Amino acid sequence: MKSRRGKHELLPGTLDLLVLRLLSREELHGWGITNKLELLSKSALQVDEGSLYPALYRMEEKGWITAEWRVTENNRRAKYYSLTKAGRRQLETETENWHSMSAIIAQVLREA
Amino acid sequence: MGLLSRLSRRRRLEAEMAEEMRFHLEQRAADYAADGMSEEEARYAARRRFGNLRSLQESARDARGSRWLELVLKDLRLALRQLAKSPGFALLAIVTLGLGIGANTAMFNLVNDTMLRPLPYPESGQLDALYRATAQDPDGSFSPADFLDLQNEAAGYGEVAAYTMADASLSEPGRPAEIAEAARATASFFPLLGVQAQLGRVFQTGEDVPGRDRIVLLSQRTWQRRFEGRPDVIGRTIRVDGEPHQVVGVLPAWFNDWRHLGNVDFFRPLALDERKSADRRSLGLRVVGRHSSARPRAETDAFLARLGARLAAAHPEVNGGSTWHAVPLDSTVIGHDGPVMLSMLIGLSGLVLLIACSNLANFLLARTMARAREFALRSALGASRSQLLRPLIAESLVLALAGGAVAILIAVWFNQWVAVRSVGDNGEGVVLGLNWAVFAWAFAASLVTALAFGAAPALFAMRLNLNDTLKSGGRGSLGGRGHQRFRQALIVGQFALAMVLLAGAGLFLRGLNELISRRSGFESARLVTASYLLPAADYATPEKITEFHRRTIERLGALSGVASVGISSFTPFFHWADTRKFVVEGRERPEAGREPAALVNAVTPRYFETVGTALLSGRPFGERDSGDAPRVYLVNQSMARNLFGQEDPVGRRLALASGEAQTWGEIVGVAVDVQPPEPGETLTFQVYVPMAQEPQRGSELVVRSVGVEPSSLVAGVRAAMAELDPDLPLRKLASADARILRAHYQLGVLRDMLLAFALLGLGLASIGIYGVIARLMAQRTSEFAIRLAVGATVADVSRLVLTTGVRQAVAGSALGLMGAIVVARLIAGVYPGIRTDSPGILFGTTLVLVAVALLACWIPARRAARIDATLALRAE
Repeated sequence: MKSRRGKHELLPGTLDLLVLRLLSREELHGWGITNKLELLSKSALQVDEGSLYPALYRMEEKGWITAEWRVTENNRRAKYYSLTKAGRRQLETETENWHSMSAIIAQVLREA
Repeated sequence: MGLLSRLSRRRRLEAEMAEEMRFHLEQRAADYAADGMSEEEARYAARRRFGNLRSLQESARDARGSRWLELVLKDLRLALRQLAKSPGFALLAIVTLGLGIGANTAMFNLVNDTMLRPLPYPESGQLDALYRATAQDPDGSFSPADFLDLQNEAAGYGEVAAYTMADASLSEPGRPAEIAEAARATASFFPLLGVQAQLGRVFQTGEDVPGRDRIVLLSQRTWQRRFEGRPDVIGRTIRVDGEPHQVVGVLPAWFNDWRHLGNVDFFRPLALDERKSADRRSLGLRVVGRHSSARPRAETDAFLARLGARLAAAHPEVNGGSTWHAVPLDSTVIGHDGPVMLSMLIGLSGLVLLIACSNLANFLLARTMARAREFALRSALGASRSQLLRPLIAESLVLALAGGAVAILIAVWFNQWVAVRSVGDNGEGVVLGLNWAVFAWAFAASLVTALAFGAAPALFAMRLNLNDTLKSGGRGSLGGRGHQRFRQALIVGQFALAMVLLAGAGLFLRGLNELISRRSGFESARLVTASYLLPAADYATPEKITEFHRRTIERLGALSGVASVGISSFTPFFHWADTRKFVVEGRERPEAGREPAALVNAVTPRYFETVGTALLSGRPFGERDSGDAPRVYLVNQSMARNLFGQEDPVGRRLALASGEAQTWGEIVGVAVDVQPPEPGETLTFQVYVPMAQEPQRGSELVVRSVGVEPSSLVAGVRAAMAELDPDLPLRKLASADARILRAHYQLGVLRDMLLAFALLGLGLASIGIYGVIARLMAQRTSEFAIRLAVGATVADVSRLVLTTGVRQAVAGSALGLMGAIVVARLIAGVYPGIRTDSPGILFGTTLVLVAVALLACWIPARRAARIDATLALRAE
């Protein structure tokens, strides 16, 4: 969905996948996740910043990620999230799903 | 996870969430500031970019899953606020619920404690009370010889032990003597029950033989009260009935359980000498048994029945017609009429609860209907079903908790009341305990009631048509015809129940008063009475007893204000516990065991004029009927008529049917029938014997006053008796009427309970009808305004309101009449002596109910007079 400012809003359900993927590489706090998403998408993705947190809590509740309070480089307290084993499995499934789903959609778009 | 740890965890997470989001916002703002925004602008921009903080926190909480608890707490807080907004309603609902459940909880507690809770003995389920039942006494006791036979063959049953109750005097130098409730028990008694001494020891085998039986086992209460709980009491010598006895042990506190032998002050061994062991005539041995767990109940029952039948056949003259059976000891706590009585009380308290419930339903329904528009609006705005229902259910929960607490308070108060009312001469009373089951009952009943009656109106609200409710303006509360009719039916039902309670209590009250104030064959108004027990050691011979009686009569007779003095083995106003069988001279002797039985009272010469028992013919006993004079008897009218018909019995001779050597005694007079003011058919044959011919150590003193209040003689009698024998304890020294009332405390308690139920029911029903009529009045204000505007008078409108309410009250009362008659029949079944047929009471109760209904409707009806037609109509 292209907005007027040339940014894309996230497709529903993809935020979890992206967050899991980011956390599979390093431990990040909420602000860090927001920054990384902007950076990696070359600012093309518009993340509703606030909605990140409910998503994080939900995933924490489901046991995909865990959190730990640590001190940042700037000496601030921040909550660092990391992937659990279950989260890693979830990432694999969701990645597979995404690939097969996008392939199916692409196929339908091509052949319809 | 517990509620508290859950809550504290939630608080921590909440704080962490806030901190995390703040961190994010600060970072973003710092970014913007770095891009050249002002600090203020940067902060706002960061906020905007983040989204609605509050709703995000909300959804974050949702994501966390601890939401339900928070919701419940929120709902409860809201419910508290809502209830606080209408404190009148809240108070009424809580009190209604509390009273209704409270009456029920108190009754449940009573049943739980008397019928369901086992006695404190180890494995009390194996314990039995053994009875030798006869036609007169289904719970009959055993004779020593019968008991010994049973004990010898007990293997077919299990183990048996016996005890017998007899008052004894307790005296020590330098202390006032007192009569104690004492018992004698076989050495096997305590081991059988599984009771060990707390201090010292219980009786040992071989101590229940004559000569070794001068030992005493104190109850905990006596030890504390009379011996200040001092451990050195063991081994001490105390005087029982004037004889020195050694204290060997103290029983544990739990043995003082009112449900079995808690009233006993001390035990002595039951020693049967050779003569007593052969005695098959004197009953009085109570037998307890522990049946062998190896034998099924049917087998032990059959064994006892067989043994009883064998002894009945072997000794028909004493045991003829008797049968033996065992009853679980746990079930002997309440008497034969206990289950009926208790179920009736539970049932009646259930009626109170029903009235309370229908009140509650009415209150909550009215409240819900008044808020129907609010619900419709909220529902139209998208509130879900559960969002609408939750606050209502939360409100019910709050009401239930508060009501349950009130109910517990009532149960506690009831227990204290029973304890105070039942306390006996030695300080032992009925002590009802509260246990978890009672708490569970109170709160479960509250919860069920409040939810049923809270959720029902809520569901009703759900069914409302949104459109109609919103369109009907403020009168959304009028409800449909069916709804109106439902509430009127509730009123009818309430009044029916109130009628049952009120009339039931009224009938019982009247019957009881009639019974207690019945003085048939004697007068009590001028009597002072007391009982005493002469210690066997000091009054060993009949001559000594007779001499004491002579001095007593002389000494008390000299007191001013005393008209006459009598001494008897029993008072005319209580049951005579001496039954003997007689044969008539010159008549064919009936088959053994079928001789006419009579209650026997030994009396001094002036007894008859003292208690006011009139003689129909012949003469009273006199000084000449002394111990060495020929035996004489007086019989009562019923016995005279039954045995001799029209003939004059004076001059005929009687003898004891069971006497070893037949001693004939002449009938010298006929007395009127004496009927004690006690429930049950007590009127039978009565025989009087001269006290001098059968001197009794335990006797009743009756003093007739003249010119002074009987109670003013008490001090003088006490002082005179103390002069005669300072070691002699006087018991129950009081006016006869006071003693009669005291003896009927159980009936009094029952009466007060019924009265309380009735008043509760009446109060609740009148609150109910008031509430309904007041609401009706409020809802129909505009209708009345129109009526007034088109020419109706205020009186017309008031009458309209009044008749609506009163019609329901009358209909309810009429329905309730039938229930009241059933309750009266039930009471009459339990207490045959109580008359419960009284049209006057039924009529009076109906009048009271209608009057209460009138009053309750009159208050709102008066408001009709204040309707300002213009104002009311303009408010539309």
